[in-house]
Amino acid sequence: MTQMAKKKPDDEISTAVSSNGTAQDILRAPAEVLYAEEIEHLCKEDKHHRPPGWKMSPRAVLSYICGGKVGAREITPKYIGYQRLVEIAISTLVTDRALLLIGEPGTAKSWLSEHLAAAINGDSTKVVQGTAGTTEEHIRYTWNYALLIAHGPSREALIRSPIFRAMESGSLARFEEITRCAAEVQDALISLLSEKRISVPELMTEVPAAKGFSIIATANTRDRGVNDMSAALKRRFNMIVLPTPATLETEVGIVRKRVRELATHLELRAAVPADDAIEQVVTIFRELRSGQTLDGKNKIKVPSGVLSTAEAISVLAGGMALAGNFGTGQVTANDLAAGMQGAVVKDEEKDKIVWQEYLANVLKKRGAEWRPLYTACAEHNT
Amino acid sequence: VSTWRIHVFGVRHLSPTGAWHLCRFLDRVQPKAVLIEGLADADELIPHFTRKGTKPPIAILAYTDAMPVRTLVYPLAGYSPEYRALKWAHENEVQVEFIDLPSDIFLGLQDLEVERLERRAKDDETDGEDDGKEAEPESAADSGEPAESWRPEPGRSIYERIARRSDEPDYDTYWERRFEHNLADDSYRLASFELGRALRDESDPPLRRAENLVREAYMRRRIEEVIAGGVKSEEIVAIVGAFHAPVLTGEFPAMTDEELASLPRRSSKLTLMPYSYFKLSTQSGYGAGNHAPAYFELLWETLQAGDLHELPLRYLSNVVRFLRDKGTHRSTAEVIEGVRLARTLSALHEGLAPTLRDLRDAAVTLIGHGELSTISEALSHADVGTAIGELPKGVSRTSIQSDFERELERLKLEKYRSTVKQELTLDLRENRRVKSEEAAFLDLHRSSFLHRLRVLDIGFAKPAPTGQQTTTWAEKWFLQWSPESEISLVEAVLLGETLELAAGFKFKTRLEGCTNIAEAADLVQDACQCGLMQSMDHARQRLQELAAGSTELKAIAHAAFQLSQTARYGDVRKFDPAPLLPLMEELFVQGALALHGAAGCDNPTAQALLVSMDEMNRVSLEHHDRVEEKLWLDRLKRLADADDRNPLLSGYACGLLLERGLIPNEDLVREVSRRLSPGIPADLGAGWFEGLAKRNRYSLLARQPLWAALADYIRSLDDDQFKRALVFLRRAFGCFSPQEKRHICENLGEFWGVGREETSEALEQPLTEKEEQTLKDLNTFDFDNL
Repeated sequence: MTQMAKKKPDDEISTAVSSNGTAQDILRAPAEVLYAEEIEHLCKEDKHHRPPGWKMSPRAVLSYICGGKVGAREITPKYIGYQRLVEIAISTLVTDRALLLIGEPGTAKSWLSEHLAAAINGDSTKVVQGTAGTTEEHIRYTWNYALLIAHGPSREALIRSPIFRAMESGSLARFEEITRCAAEVQDALISLLSEKRISVPELMTEVPAAKGFSIIATANTRDRGVNDMSAALKRRFNMIVLPTPATLETEVGIVRKRVRELATHLELRAAVPADDAIEQVVTIFRELRSGQTLDGKNKIKVPSGVLSTAEAISVLAGGMALAGNFGTGQVTANDLAAGMQGAVVKDEEKDKIVWQEYLANVLKKRGAEWRPLYTACAEHNT
Repeated sequence: VSTWRIHVFGVRHLSPTGAWHLCRFLDRVQPKAVLIEGLADADELIPHFTRKGTKPPIAILAYTDAMPVRTLVYPLAGYSPEYRALKWAHENEVQVEFIDLPSDIFLGLQDLEVERLERRAKDDETDGEDDGKEAEPESAADSGEPAESWRPEPGRSIYERIARRSDEPDYDTYWERRFEHNLADDSYRLASFELGRALRDESDPPLRRAENLVREAYMRRRIEEVIAGGVKSEEIVAIVGAFHAPVLTGEFPAMTDEELASLPRRSSKLTLMPYSYFKLSTQSGYGAGNHAPAYFELLWETLQAGDLHELPLRYLSNVVRFLRDKGTHRSTAEVIEGVRLARTLSALHEGLAPTLRDLRDAAVTLIGHGELSTISEALSHADVGTAIGELPKGVSRTSIQSDFERELERLKLEKYRSTVKQELTLDLRENRRVKSEEAAFLDLHRSSFLHRLRVLDIGFAKPAPTGQQTTTWAEKWFLQWSPESEISLVEAVLLGETLELAAGFKFKTRLEGCTNIAEAADLVQDACQCGLMQSMDHARQRLQELAAGSTELKAIAHAAFQLSQTARYGDVRKFDPAPLLPLMEELFVQGALALHGAAGCDNPTAQALLVSMDEMNRVSLEHHDRVEEKLWLDRLKRLADADDRNPLLSGYACGLLLERGLIPNEDLVREVSRRLSPGIPADLGAGWFEGLAKRNRYSLLARQPLWAALADYIRSLDDDQFKRALVFLRRAFGCFSPQEKRHICENLGEFWGVGREETSEALEQPLTEKEEQTLKDLNTFDFDNL
């Protein structure tokens, strides 16, 4: 089993985190711990109807995720930009349908899934982390083999998966990176989701899901080709595509914040790039990603890479590392250009032309502030 | 009559539930007179609405009968409250009248407004060019909206504000959630009355508000006239926009005669015209139901049948059925889940039933599997639909017909309006012998006019087939009038109210459907011929979009070339080609970058690419100050040096560079001997030479070292190789003139130690039998499947 719930004392592997874990030695606490106060406040103020198995009403969940003033308290927004998508996600879970969040890397799929589970159940830790090595046992159940051999199949010897436990308790299970699993493993979910019960033939029994059970899965748009989901499974999910940040300002904000954090975390000994530089990098990324210039007047070719927000962050952080270790400590256009080249040109022959075309047709005509970056990039691309 | 109070039913135009409540209300009140917010002088058209053969959607069209053309369109669908009121009055045989300002005043006011906008646009141009363009009436006209602010329900600001306050994303959703699903008796009328009040409390741009006040005063005047005519006030029902509902009482003053006389007027004409749902959905700022006419018709149908609760199911089934017809299967289960999701979404906003927005979002999530693009076509089919209205024959006398007649007169083309085919030759250049500018460019204007007719498929004018298109200033047309032309002219009014607007709209739709570069490039030229600069700009944009996604050298080079040609027309056609040039530059960069990749091809393809390379080269020569000539030359050099590309193209690239004097003699000689060295297969070497020899023969002929290298090469070949090379060399020199061939032979002869005279003598000799036999043998030579 990949990750065990920390609140289950009878689970063998759970000790390290749960029993003596304090905020200091955990790298990152789950959402329901980080935002415990807000959740408590929302539950207290909540006057609307709560669906069975939910800790708060759909509206309160919406307030928790999109922020706003509730009672006397300001709730911090966790997901910014697309409130309507959050509404659709919550409504999906109300109708007992499973939810699939799809998006490119860095569009906050897992983040949203974690916070949904935290708000609805106060527990976001029933997670299956999908990999190519995930087997059906990770989705259904497996056995404690010592007990199994000693006493034969019994309830005690049964090790239940996070999804199994979610069904028993009527809560949400999360399935991360579902398309990384082999298609036949994914298909274990089909009958679970349509019949809402899990059978354990070894014990000659069947466990029905309690009200409130559902699954939130996440998948990468670019990975779809890796292991496509079967049509049967797709039908059991409501699918929401999470878009990249809507505006330049939002994305610049996200990038700036993350670059600052990284700089302190990784102790990059260089000054954080100027806002202009960040904006230029993000602008280039957004334009190449969307296939058109920001003003919408010109279409451009799209390179084969993803060009996610995450990569923009790493270009800037990489530039800082270069400047800190081999340069003056000030990030120059040249430091950025090396990273840009790597991020944009993934397929040597094709992307190179795309990049060159973009440089000549768009960047070159942008005026003096862009000149250094243009020159540096053009040099790197020969 | 000072304290009169009549029944007022406030509606939103094109609101089906409003129509449904209105019919029930009229049944209950049984009025003697029905008064409708609509152009007062359209009264004479009222009988046509209910005639057999009339099928909505239709529209009342008011237009000025002189230049500049201003128009006003009042569309009505089958579910419009106003249309239902007309029907009710007809069936119950009661008096019915339109009570809004007459069209001549409306158009007069519009005139003032457009002039004001024009003035502002001029002022703006000095500080911000982009803003200025937005406000120009031409740009408004292009969207089919001469002046949006003159619609009966103007502006969206106050509506949006009300919606925002109720936590709704837009006014349409606000309205649908609160009004369209509410069937409780009288709730619609009372609620819209309250909404009207709330709207009046909002601050509005003063001009807009003033216009509303004028209209309301006029409506009160008309109501008082009806009361004076002997109808009791409680026997009158007025159907007006919710905004006007609260003020149609005797407590407010009616318009006086002096006030009426002081309003500006433009002489106008009125007609009914068939309308379409598509056209309706492209109108903005005109009340409810317009963005999704098919959906609201469905709503109206379910209301009539008494099963409104089935609307979500039927809507989503329509979407799925459309998808299935197109080959994408979606299950019924997904429809059911979609309805559930839509209902939950609506419950999240405390709605009675899902709104269109909820349904669309549910459809994307369930039926589109998260992707709007999968189902956008199906959605627009279910939302907008394809319905087109009909009118009995002879009812329609549209603005486009009178526009056509006016143009004929202006361009002195009336005598061509006969059923006899006549020829017309145009000289687009300025006629310097006449005084007025209008007369000087008469033929140019005629050409634009005729091209517009051609684009609109109005058979009156057909371009005469000309053998050559060398002159940019001459055109020949055949003109012939026919009843079919009249019919297509009337149909064109669906595209726009004047020929110019219709042609602009036609371009817009053609551009939306345009998927290849060549077509877009044609459209640029078409628009330029029609004198529609805005459409040309749109076409340019579309071309840019398409070209950006392509790496096909042939299409890109051709488009770049064609743009440079169109830009040349600028002189004759009196337009500024500046907007075309940046795109040409871009295409040029793309073409240059695509060259190397494209050059790795087989021989037949290479032949076609020769043309593209030539086109690119011509653009680079004609516009060397604008385009990235250096990039082009770099790329040519790279191709010329490459050994892994098609040798013909490599040779041609070399030739192009040679022509510009960019290859010094010694480099050329080195390259020739490298290409033609004995190890290289003869077809590659000769192919390269063929490419090289396609250009600048004279300069080649003069370069002795080149011929020395060629002579060495031929000498080095053994018999079989020689025969093989012979084929390619023959092809390479095939296109040279006999004169040039002789020159070459003499050149080569020199190197082989044969004197000039002897060579020419040998060439003069007729072929001996033996030689002929050798040549024959060559024909049967086995070239290894070459």
